[in-house]
Amino acid sequence: MDQSKWFYPIIVFLLSVMALAASLFLYIYWYIRVSSGLKTLVTRFNIEPSVVLESHTWLVIMVLSVLVGIILLGIFTIFMYNLKTYQLYRIQQNFINNFTHELKTPVTSLKLFLETLSKHELSRAEQLKYINYMILDVVRLSDNLGRILDLAGIESNNYQGDFIKTDLVVAVETFCNANEHLFPECRISVHSSSDKHFVYLINTYLFEMLLMNLLTNAVKYNDSKVPKIDISFDLHGNMLHIKFEDNGIGIENIQIKKIFRKFYQVGQYKDMTAKGNGLGLYLVKNIARIHNGKVVAESKGIGKGSVFTLKLPYKEI
Amino acid sequence: MKYHGNKRILVIEDDNHIAEGLKLNLSLQGYDVVIAKDGISGLHEWKEWKPNLVVLDIMLPGIDGLSVLQNIRLEDERIPILILSAKAEAHDKIKGLSCGVDDYLSKPFNLEEFLLRVERLLVRASWVSREEDAAVQTGDLPSGIYKFGDNLIDFEKSTGICRTGKVSLTEQEIKLLKLFITNAGKTLSRRKILEIGWGYTGNVSTRTVDNFVARFRKYFEADSKKPKYFKSIRLVGYVFENDS
Repeated sequence: MDQSKWFYPIIVFLLSVMALAASLFLYIYWYIRVSSGLKTLVTRFNIEPSVVLESHTWLVIMVLSVLVGIILLGIFTIFMYNLKTYQLYRIQQNFINNFTHELKTPVTSLKLFLETLSKHELSRAEQLKYINYMILDVVRLSDNLGRILDLAGIESNNYQGDFIKTDLVVAVETFCNANEHLFPECRISVHSSSDKHFVYLINTYLFEMLLMNLLTNAVKYNDSKVPKIDISFDLHGNMLHIKFEDNGIGIENIQIKKIFRKFYQVGQYKDMTAKGNGLGLYLVKNIARIHNGKVVAESKGIGKGSVFTLKLPYKEI
Repeated sequence: MKYHGNKRILVIEDDNHIAEGLKLNLSLQGYDVVIAKDGISGLHEWKEWKPNLVVLDIMLPGIDGLSVLQNIRLEDERIPILILSAKAEAHDKIKGLSCGVDDYLSKPFNLEEFLLRVERLLVRASWVSREEDAAVQTGDLPSGIYKFGDNLIDFEKSTGICRTGKVSLTEQEIKLLKLFITNAGKTLSRRKILEIGWGYTGNVSTRTVDNFVARFRKYFEADSKKPKYFKSIRLVGYVFENDS
């Protein structure tokens, strides 16, 4: 399925509709012709009109139109279905292609540096520099693999994992501090509107994955010199809102709902504006669901940053 | 401008680690290396820095590697280009090769293999350019009258008689015609025609050569679309053939 074959379904659809419209017109026209022909015949031979079939013209036209309408609806439905199938195919193709690159790149880098270190005598300082690169590559690989592997477990309806009572503010702060080195140029701030300890039952592994995804996105989709992420905790009635506000490239309105879809990426694989693997926010959405909450995205537009809010039902103990 | 000294290699690769690794290894082999992170800066470096070889990744941000390849090939049929890509299916390789790439390595690649292939490409390129320099005749240029088919060129008067009648030829046109005729039957790369016809200035695009050939075809060919004399050989260059 490629772009050039794409216009065939449209052509088929349009031709079908035209054929249908033409046939409807012809049926009606022919019917009226025959009808009036019969009428002249009746008057000529002075036959009782009731002997010959009553024309019921309008009834017939109505029935025909209804049937044609149903056929039209059918064609349209099939056409839309075809469209969706093609879109899904394209999204999956995008994902596979991009992911192949995501996996092959760190592996290539690892191989390259290992062969280099084996081939050349380098100074300790240089060795350390390249060993560090390799560590980052392994982490990158490992993250990608982790995401794929977790996907199955997270998508299922009963996640097998332990849930522990955790102070959310502390958890987020600890996470940010522990992973500072992954966000070198960034300014991440955590604050809470009150001194409350928001204790919630969370699965640490999943929660950290959620945080990692949101923070990585905030940094990845960010063109500012100093990427900033502001994490705040607010209570709204019986819902706890954890807001992740960034100064990144923002999200268009039409994309706001789509970005949580599986494999969905803003941008095209072809021009490499698609980053990552299209799974991050899908995972975030599911992790929120597993914790009985939900995630929403808001943005004032392109270039105006974004706000991701994790909403959890919170009961004051 | 002719550079002397180390061979220059341009690496167009967007992943930082791989780019640096390639630069390190190629430098240790004795080459001068410049890295470009995307297609646009890659083309810019190719034009400005004039490398001897280009290592190209296909998946680049902005314009993709194949477009870069095609862009370079429009100007220079001969510069050795090696593709290094994660896309390694047969159809990917076929796409690259049909656009005129000289070698195609898939990622992850073997370092030793990569270095040997680069070396070989550079060696062959230096033979070709030496051969070209030797083969292209610039001495013994024609003078007087030259006939081919129904056409006639008078080098003394700088005029030509062709199917459209009499045309007066510019100095540049005469220069090129002399070059083609002296090397009749030999395919000349557009780059070479440019070097000899306009000097090693490097500021003129090979498109100028195309324009001149188009003009010659308009003058001297019965059907410009099916040239008998000024023929083009895809991805190689032009050849002037006069069988009579």
